[in-house]
Amino acid sequence: MSQQIPTTAVMAEGLIARDHWIQVQPEQIRATLSRLQAEGFTYFLFLTCVDHLATPLLQQPPQRFELVYQLRDLKQRREIRVRVFLPEERPEIASVQDIFAAANWDERETWDMFGVKFEGHPNLERILMPEDWIGHPLRRDFPVGGEPVDFSEDHETWQTAPPPA
Amino acid sequence: MADSTPAGLSAPAGPMTEHGQGMTIQRTRLQGRDGDLLTVNFGPQHPSTHGVLRLIVDLEGEVIRGLKPVIGYLHTGIEKQMEALRWQQAVVLTDRHDYLSPPINNLAYALAVEKLLGVEAPPRAQVLRVIMSELTRLSSHVVWLGTSSLELGAMSAFMYGFREREKVMDLNEEISGFRMHTSYIRPGGVFADATPRFLEMLDAFIREMPRNVDEYENLLTHNPIWIARTKGIGHLRPEDAIRLAASGPMLRGSGINWDLRQDRPYSGYDKYDWEVAVEDGCDCYARYLVRIKEMRESVKILRQALDGLPPGPVNIDDRKILPPPREELETSMEAVIHHFKLATEGYSLPPGDVYVAVESGRGENGCYIVSDGTHKPRRAKFRSASFVNIQALEQLALGSMVADLIAVIGTADAVLGDVDR
Repeated sequence: MSQQIPTTAVMAEGLIARDHWIQVQPEQIRATLSRLQAEGFTYFLFLTCVDHLATPLLQQPPQRFELVYQLRDLKQRREIRVRVFLPEERPEIASVQDIFAAANWDERETWDMFGVKFEGHPNLERILMPEDWIGHPLRRDFPVGGEPVDFSEDHETWQTAPPPA
Repeated sequence: MADSTPAGLSAPAGPMTEHGQGMTIQRTRLQGRDGDLLTVNFGPQHPSTHGVLRLIVDLEGEVIRGLKPVIGYLHTGIEKQMEALRWQQAVVLTDRHDYLSPPINNLAYALAVEKLLGVEAPPRAQVLRVIMSELTRLSSHVVWLGTSSLELGAMSAFMYGFREREKVMDLNEEISGFRMHTSYIRPGGVFADATPRFLEMLDAFIREMPRNVDEYENLLTHNPIWIARTKGIGHLRPEDAIRLAASGPMLRGSGINWDLRQDRPYSGYDKYDWEVAVEDGCDCYARYLVRIKEMRESVKILRQALDGLPPGPVNIDDRKILPPPREELETSMEAVIHHFKLATEGYSLPPGDVYVAVESGRGENGCYIVSDGTHKPRRAKFRSASFVNIQALEQLALGSMVADLIAVIGTADAVLGDVDR
């Protein structure tokens, strides 16, 4: 299969528990996904992020954030997972919502939950958390619990953005 | 007295709000458009939005010109909470996101964990999983049928639907002890074997269910009002269904023959003789027909599963993953050690990530888990059918009348707990 994708783009390829995956450079994501779409992977399953902060793995992931795109070919009944690693200091990547319309909300969710920026997204705003939330809850350094109940006395001083100047 | 402003433009220049029943209306004037656009806030507390879906609708007269779903009102952080629980504890959270189909959510998670562990549930457990999945699909579809038809003014189907849901709840209670959040399907097998009473109740249920589906059909399928409210409404072309990754009855109602139970079989679904329900009407009525047919097919699968229920254990025989049976603890030191290790530490999964999808009543319910080799998930993500199907609402509703929006939301069959997770 890798011969059909631009070979320069694929950095690694493998099978894990019978799932096929490839890894590409962040700059190549749009080219890779368009190419895969042309090959029949027309059904966009999901896009999400994995935070590898302080991972116990012996083989360290190259960067902190890993983006995972899962695509499916409905005709040949096959799936492919595309991995991209993004650095901690600049988690930014080109948006693919114009290639796969279904990625629109997934990109917003990934921005909301992990703070990964998708350049070229028309409406990159929080989708699940309140608009004035500070931080990105699914990052591993975001604590579980500890926040007060909404509309309680100290809510205003807690995780609420300062009023616009 | 001559009015200097032309008719229809007499509203004040600034935004004006009125408080109607259950909705706030904000009137704004857009320049350069034919006629005024009225922006209406719809929900989140609205009886016909199936929970807490909020829509911001731009209306031109009664025609929808813009639609923006606003979600997140039921966000409970299930994915974050799962990272703090051990692999075997996290099952209880999977029950709760799509609260109309807990066993199917359990199944997606259990299959993902088993796939990464490289184990497979024993044959009897697989058939019990199929039985619970199909019962859940039936109960989810009857709730859908009841609530959606109630929103369009058909009261009786709601009563009939909840009558059958009650029977499925009783079956859940009999086999797992819980009526709703069963946590019945777990990595390695199921919670407990089916009791003889459960099998009797199931047999009776399968016998009477086809007649109940006939009753629903008598009420709705040829009902002129139901047809007028759903036929030709909420058109979704097949290419748009794929583009927006719609799944389940949304996809099959648009004429695409894709059902994970047949196209990517799991839990032995390939052994049953049944048909995928496909309709090419592409509208709300087609989605209704798909769900009705799916109910009949589910009954077929249930009959075959019940008749072919093989004997044997319902859990894998691996002491590193599942605790030993109670009686072994009294005689075996090793069993005590295994029990202690599992209760205090749990088991670890080999590093890696897998994606497993199962067909729920709403569509593709996927579970993507990442393990870093420890006893807790590094990341667990649910690809929920409701989230993706709600994204397609704009495509479905633009250009239709505001009253048809109710039919469109209804046949999208979103569970907001599943949308927001």
